[in-house]
Amino acid sequence: MARPEAKLKELKQAELKHEVGARRDLVVTLNRRSAPRLIPYGDEFMFEKLPAGTRVIYPPPPLDALPDPDAAIRYALLRPLNADPLFAQLNPNMRVTIALDDISLPLPPMRRPDIRERLLNQVLQTLADYGVDDVHLIVATALHRRMTESEIRRMVGERAFKQYWPDRLYNFDGENRAELAMLGKTDHGEEVWLSRRAAESDLVIYLNLNLVPMDGGHKSVAVGLAPYQSLRHHHNPATLRDSHSYMDPKRSALHSSANRMGRLVNAQLNVFSIETAVNTQMYGGMLDFLQKNEDQFNDWDRARLKGFRWTLGNLSNDTRRQMMHQYAAPYGLTGVWAGETEAVHRQALARVFQQYAVPVKGQSDILIVGVPYICPYNVNSIMNPVLVQCTGLGYLFNMYRNQPLVKPGGTMIICHPLRDEFHPEHHPSYIEFFHRCLAETTDAMQLEKRFEAEFAINPTYKHMYRFGHAYHGVHPFYMWYWGEPARQHVGRVIAAGCEEPQVAARMGWEAADTLDEAIAMATADHGRSASITYLHLPPLVIADVE
Amino acid sequence: MSVQPKTRTPRSRARAARGVPKAAAFYDLDGTLMDLNLVHAAFFIFANLGEWSGRVSYLAAFVARLPMLYMAERRDRHLLNVALYETFKGLSQDRLEALGEEYCERILMAHLYPRALDIIEANRAAGFAPVLVTGSPDFIVAPLASRLRIDTFVANRLIYSRGRATGRLREPVMAGEAKAAWCATYAAEHRVDLAKCWGYADSRYDLPFLIALGHPVAVNPDRRLRAIAQSRQWPVLRFAKAQARRGAAGDLDPRTAAQDWTEEKLDGAARS
Repeated sequence: MARPEAKLKELKQAELKHEVGARRDLVVTLNRRSAPRLIPYGDEFMFEKLPAGTRVIYPPPPLDALPDPDAAIRYALLRPLNADPLFAQLNPNMRVTIALDDISLPLPPMRRPDIRERLLNQVLQTLADYGVDDVHLIVATALHRRMTESEIRRMVGERAFKQYWPDRLYNFDGENRAELAMLGKTDHGEEVWLSRRAAESDLVIYLNLNLVPMDGGHKSVAVGLAPYQSLRHHHNPATLRDSHSYMDPKRSALHSSANRMGRLVNAQLNVFSIETAVNTQMYGGMLDFLQKNEDQFNDWDRARLKGFRWTLGNLSNDTRRQMMHQYAAPYGLTGVWAGETEAVHRQALARVFQQYAVPVKGQSDILIVGVPYICPYNVNSIMNPVLVQCTGLGYLFNMYRNQPLVKPGGTMIICHPLRDEFHPEHHPSYIEFFHRCLAETTDAMQLEKRFEAEFAINPTYKHMYRFGHAYHGVHPFYMWYWGEPARQHVGRVIAAGCEEPQVAARMGWEAADTLDEAIAMATADHGRSASITYLHLPPLVIADVE
Repeated sequence: MSVQPKTRTPRSRARAARGVPKAAAFYDLDGTLMDLNLVHAAFFIFANLGEWSGRVSYLAAFVARLPMLYMAERRDRHLLNVALYETFKGLSQDRLEALGEEYCERILMAHLYPRALDIIEANRAAGFAPVLVTGSPDFIVAPLASRLRIDTFVANRLIYSRGRATGRLREPVMAGEAKAAWCATYAAEHRVDLAKCWGYADSRYDLPFLIALGHPVAVNPDRRLRAIAQSRQWPVLRFAKAQARRGAAGDLDPRTAAQDWTEEKLDGAARS
């Protein structure tokens, strides 16, 4: 069978290095005549002139999408890596659990059909062909909020939804003790808990979507189907401080822990992993200018930008947020692999790095990032200040391999309006965390010691997680811990364009009205010759810092 | 790492030894813990009076008053309570208490939200003493509190004269500000910090009560309370009515929920 991905360049390691190395033109140094740059700023975009000498890192252009995704999926299921083909593992009397990533991936949500729908249709058809009836579909939410009925319908498609919802298609519940099973402890003493349904299945199939390199692998089953009792072993300040970076799984203590747990799971369960990778086609059509180098804008791009910013600027906050969350990205599938977890993940990781990696020479004194309207934890919701912190210090700071983009003791400038806004039904514990816990300390170790257990067992938050659509009570702590490596590394964090300075102060940040003011504050520390880097989003980029 | 809320300090050990709660969880009743209200209770009582003539006359008088009660409800919860309890005038105290017991056993227990019971028990296990703060009459609330193992409650109390209800209420009438004032008094007497207490209510009239507490929670809120909860960023709980009618009272035994929850907590602590 001809590999359906033949049209997509299959790169060996040396070739990949060469291709990535050829991307040096994606690092642009600005001069006085350079155009202003687009910077995500919550639900809006800043369009700011940056100082001459600023280094702007652009994401690589999207890889070509597979011309026939369904054929690629069929190929992957028939030719899995280090495993028998899916059909060869089936018999009519077996119990099968299919777990799939939740709404936190990809961002923004992709246009229909979602990749998970394509995968599900083929996997379910194979199961049906071989007479397997005892099939459950679990959305691997871990401690994330339960997806709503309409969100699940959109993700899995009509066919699977009509057939399985709600009895055999449901969200994972990490607080339902009856539905959890302990598989054992790793050699590091980490307890491995898992969905009982998955633990008692003859075959667990995980449908994964890799947006960034931190996704997938053992993190899928061992994290997605695990409760607090398991997650606390790696979602803690000590482990996250030792992760350099989250986007480099080999140097991430978080991934090492998840790998240990995942290996224990795979030793006891028959896990068949299916991983996919998508390209960076986040914004297409009328919004494709968002992914362009501003110096290469033509008149049509400038007109669209002006109209887009005018429209956003004239909408109320709520309307603008709703409008932005309606947007669906035209992602293209760049690869699909199936089989044994680690073999599959190696392939997926290579493809993800092929998409994102850009070589960058050296660190800078000041790193500018713009936090957009969306992160994995506020799809169809509000980007609250704790999530801004998580996105800025957690995700965007970690968009590197080898060493951070900013020097130790350097300054990070985070562009976001930083409003004291929370979604009371999705993020109830965030509100108390922000107003009570952060008011007492911003030290992650102290927060863990003094407050985490209280939030973990809080009955109201537990109830809202289990029966409402709230993130688990400890989730804001995890979001805060997520920024721990950045807090240990940088000297200052300045919120540029901050509308509510007390919000920045609560998180230990400084506030500046404008980006210019933030840069002036930073250069006062580092001197007028301070080096500045702007990490250009959207879409996403991972800097291989030499 | 432990999943216990906190390591006990000598002071907290002493409080526990004296039976003093570290904090309390205050619950409104109608619409919060169950999907019934006071009008339903009044109908039940009038429909089950001893003689047919009494039933007909009390029900007719009550129905005639409904428009007024509706108007009172729109204006002020205090006014509603005063107007509604007037309809009890002339009923004997022992009959009301017997009907209250029966209403609780036959109707209320089947209308409690099971998940509300879970919350009460989980809060109790977490060290929050349950307290009912309600505008319902004491002859209904007392048997309910006893069944839920809630030692402390405050409810509206009718004034009786020679064994018969006068239709007037003892002060303070439990509504709005009075609930908040009572909570403050309770907190002072039991030396608990209201800022650490949780409060659960469903109506905009309970706003003063919720505001008085450190952790207000809107339960199945009406339109105005929902808007207020959203603007003040309070958690919002939704208990489904369909799940409330979960068979007989035996299915809703709160002790089972409490045991499950406590075992879970202890298991967690033992594992860590």
